[in-house]
Amino acid sequence: MSLETLKPYFPWITLGALVLLVGALNPSFLNPASLVSVVADIVPLFIMALGMTFAIYIGGIDLSVQQVANLVTVVATVYLAQFGVFVAVICVLAGFAIGAVSGWVTTRQFVPSFVATLAMGFIALSGARFLSGERALSMNAEARDASFGWMFGTTAGVPHELVIAGILLALAWFLQTRTTFGRALKAVGAGELAAVSSGLNVDRIKILAFALSGTFAAIAGLMFSVKLSGGDANLANGFLILAIVAVLVGGTPLTGGVGGVINTLVGTLIVVVIRTAMVYLEVDATMQQMIFGIILIVAIAMTIDRSKMRIVK
Amino acid sequence: MYQLNQVDKRFPGVHALKAVDFTIGRGEIVGLVGENGAGKSTLMKVIYGAYQPDGGTVTIDGKTVRFQNPRQAMEHGIGMVFQEQSLITNLTVMENIFLGFEQQFVRWGVIDWKAMAEAARHQLRKVKMDIDPSMTTSKLSFAQRQLVELAKVLTLEERIDGDLVILLDEPTSVLAKEEVELLFGLVRELTSRASFIFVSHRLDEVLELSDRIYVMKDGAVVDVVAQGTAEVDRIQHKMVGRDVDKEYYREQKQKPYDPSQTLVSFDGVGVAGKFSEISFDLHPGEVLCLVGTEGSGREAILRTIFGLEQPSTGTVLVKGAPYARANAQQAVARGVGYVPRERKVEGIVNGMNVYENMTLSQMRRYASGGVLRIGEEKALAQHWIDRLGIKTPDVYKDCGGLSGGNQQKVVLAKWRSGGSDIILLDHPTRGLDIGAKEDVYDMVREMSDAGAGIVLVADTLEEAIGLSHTILVLKDGIFQKRFDGSPGDKPTLYDLVHHMI
Repeated sequence: MSLETLKPYFPWITLGALVLLVGALNPSFLNPASLVSVVADIVPLFIMALGMTFAIYIGGIDLSVQQVANLVTVVATVYLAQFGVFVAVICVLAGFAIGAVSGWVTTRQFVPSFVATLAMGFIALSGARFLSGERALSMNAEARDASFGWMFGTTAGVPHELVIAGILLALAWFLQTRTTFGRALKAVGAGELAAVSSGLNVDRIKILAFALSGTFAAIAGLMFSVKLSGGDANLANGFLILAIVAVLVGGTPLTGGVGGVINTLVGTLIVVVIRTAMVYLEVDATMQQMIFGIILIVAIAMTIDRSKMRIVK
Repeated sequence: MYQLNQVDKRFPGVHALKAVDFTIGRGEIVGLVGENGAGKSTLMKVIYGAYQPDGGTVTIDGKTVRFQNPRQAMEHGIGMVFQEQSLITNLTVMENIFLGFEQQFVRWGVIDWKAMAEAARHQLRKVKMDIDPSMTTSKLSFAQRQLVELAKVLTLEERIDGDLVILLDEPTSVLAKEEVELLFGLVRELTSRASFIFVSHRLDEVLELSDRIYVMKDGAVVDVVAQGTAEVDRIQHKMVGRDVDKEYYREQKQKPYDPSQTLVSFDGVGVAGKFSEISFDLHPGEVLCLVGTEGSGREAILRTIFGLEQPSTGTVLVKGAPYARANAQQAVARGVGYVPRERKVEGIVNGMNVYENMTLSQMRRYASGGVLRIGEEKALAQHWIDRLGIKTPDVYKDCGGLSGGNQQKVVLAKWRSGGSDIILLDHPTRGLDIGAKEDVYDMVREMSDAGAGIVLVADTLEEAIGLSHTILVLKDGIFQKRFDGSPGDKPTLYDLVHHMI
C-alpha cells in the first residue's frame, strides 16, 4: 500500500492514535459517560463545521460563520419572548440570507470567497452589536425551557444534542451523496470548468453552498445561545478557527472536490480530543488557539492539492 | 556553430522529436515551418532550454552543452522572443529589459536608475527605438513591445562571450504589413550581431527572410531548403505530405447528409476580436469542419454555438431559435454537446467516477425530486462502457485515471447518452494514440448516421478532409473558402493550406 492510497484514511488513523494517546494519558477519558459528555459539548462547533464543509468542498471558504453564529445568539435572545420556538425560523433564514449574499458577491461580483465572507462576517457582527446594544443579554429562563428545553434532555442516556447533530449529519450526508445538488457540488469542487462545459448552473450551486454554510452556522448559533441561555455579539468567538481546522484535518482540502461531511465528523472529533488533551496536559487556555493555529497551517499544507494551485497569493 | 545532432524528445504517448538534426551558422537566418503539432514548439523549447532532450546532443562550436533551464541557455547566448509576450506590462521598459539582471546597476544596495536607463537606451538603439526607457510598458503598442522584447534578448551580447542565437516565435502574427517590413529590415541588419531562428505560419514571410528553411512534420525534419531553391508548392507538400488512407478516416462510411433541416444557423455572426461575418448552416448527419491556423477563430465559433461567447453581430439560431441569454445551460438544453480540447480540465471532472461524469450534463433525467437514482446511472454507464469499449475496471473508476482515449469516450458518451444531436468537437483526437483515434472516427460516423450534426475543429488537416462533408477555411477570423468534402471529391491538403496561410 502506497502513501497515496493511505491518504484518505489519515484522518481516521490520526483520530484513533489520538484517542489511544489521550486514553493512556488519562484512562478516565475512555469512560463512556465522559466520552459522551465531551462529544455532546461540541455539538454547536460540529454543526458549524458541517456547514463550512460545503463552502470548502466547492473550493471556497466561509469566514463569516462565527459572526453569523454571534448574530444569531443575539437574535434568538432578543426575539425569543416574542416568537417562541419560531425564533428558530428567523435565525435559520438570517443565516441562509447572509450565506446567499456572500455567494452572490463571490460568483457575480467575482470577489474571492474569503474576502466576501470576511466582509459579510463584519456586517453580521455589526448587526449583532447594534441589536444587543453591546451588552450580554440573557434569555428568559421560562421561555427558553418552554421553547427549546427539549434540546438538552436525554433519551435512554443519549443527549438530545447528539441526536440533533446526528440528524443534521445524516441530512448533510444525504444531500452530499444522494442528490443532484451534492453531485454538482462535487463537480464544481473537483473540476469547475468541466462543470461549466457540462451545462451546470455553477453560480447557483455556489451560492447555495454558501447559503447552506450560513444556515448551519445559524443553527449552531441557536443551539449555543440556548445552551448558555443568552446572547452576546462575542459569544461564539473562537469557533471559526476550530471549525476550519475540523474540516481540514478531516480531509476536505481547501482546493475542494474531495472529502465531505463524514470527514468533518472525524475532523471535529480530532479537534475535541486535542482540546481535551490540552486540558489534561494543563495547557494554558490562552495558548490553545496558538496550537490550533499551528495545526491549521500543518493541515492545510498537508491536504492541499498543489496541482490545482499554480499560483498562491 | 550551434548544432542539434539526432535530438529525440518523448512525452507520454507521443514521440515529439525524432532524431532531429539542426544547424545554424553565424549570422544566418533559419526558418522553421510545419503544421500545428509537427514539433516546432518542442524543438524550440529544446533549443532555448525549456525542455531537455531524451536523446542526441546539443553542441555549440563543437562543444557539447546541456541546459537545465532557459537561464543556462541564455548564458550560452541563446535567447527567445516569445509569441505570447513575456514582458511584464506594469513595469517600465528598462526594468523589463534587465529583469533578473539588475545586479549590475546596484550601488550601495540600491539601483542606479540613471545607469540602467542609459544601458537600456543603448539596447533600444540596437532595435532603432527612440523611447523613454522609464515608460511603463503597457503604454507601448504591440509592435513596440515586440521590439523591446528583442532588445531584451540582445542584452546577451554584452553579457556573454560567443555568438548569439535568437529565436523568433511567430513574431509577425499580429503585426501590420509595414511593421513586418520594419522588423525584417531590422533582423537582417542584426545578423551582424546574432543568428536568428524564425518560426512562422506564414510561409511567404519565412521564404522572404530566411537563408535556409527547415520543414518539419510529425516530429521529424523532412526537408531543408536553401533560399533561391525554395518553392512554396514544394514546401507545402512536404509540410502536409503523407498519403491519406481512406480507410483510416472511415470515408467509406460517410453518407450524404439531410439538407432539408437545419440544426445550427449562423448568419453574419461576429464576436469582437475573434471572428466576423461568419455564415453557415449545419444539417443533421453533416460533419462541418472549421479549418484555419491557431487564432483563426475556429474555437471561438464553437464556443459561440455552446453559448460561452456572446455574438456581437449577426444571428445565431440553434434549432431554429436564438438563445435568450448566451450560456451553456441553454445550449445543453437545446441538445448541444461540447467536447473541449482541454479534455482533462474541461471534458471530464478529474476526481469523479465514470457514471458521475456521464450523467453530469443530464442529472435531472436520473433523479426524482433532486434525489439521484444511482442504480440507473450505473446501468447507463455500464451500457456505454460496453457499447464504446471503454477500458475501465468498473463504473467506480476515477476518470482522471483513465487513458486519454477512454476519457474522450466518456465525454462522448455523456453527450450521446443524453440525446445531444449537435456535437462540437474541438481537437477530439489530440494526444490520442492511433487506435483511440480510429475509435473516435468510428464514433463520428455513428453519430452522423444517427442524425447528429457535428462541428469539428480537427487536429490535423488530413483528419479535417477525411472526416468532413463541408470544410470552411478561416484566416484571422475571416471566412476564406468553402469546400465540399463528399467522398471521392475531397479537396487536397494543398487546396486548404493555400487558403489558410
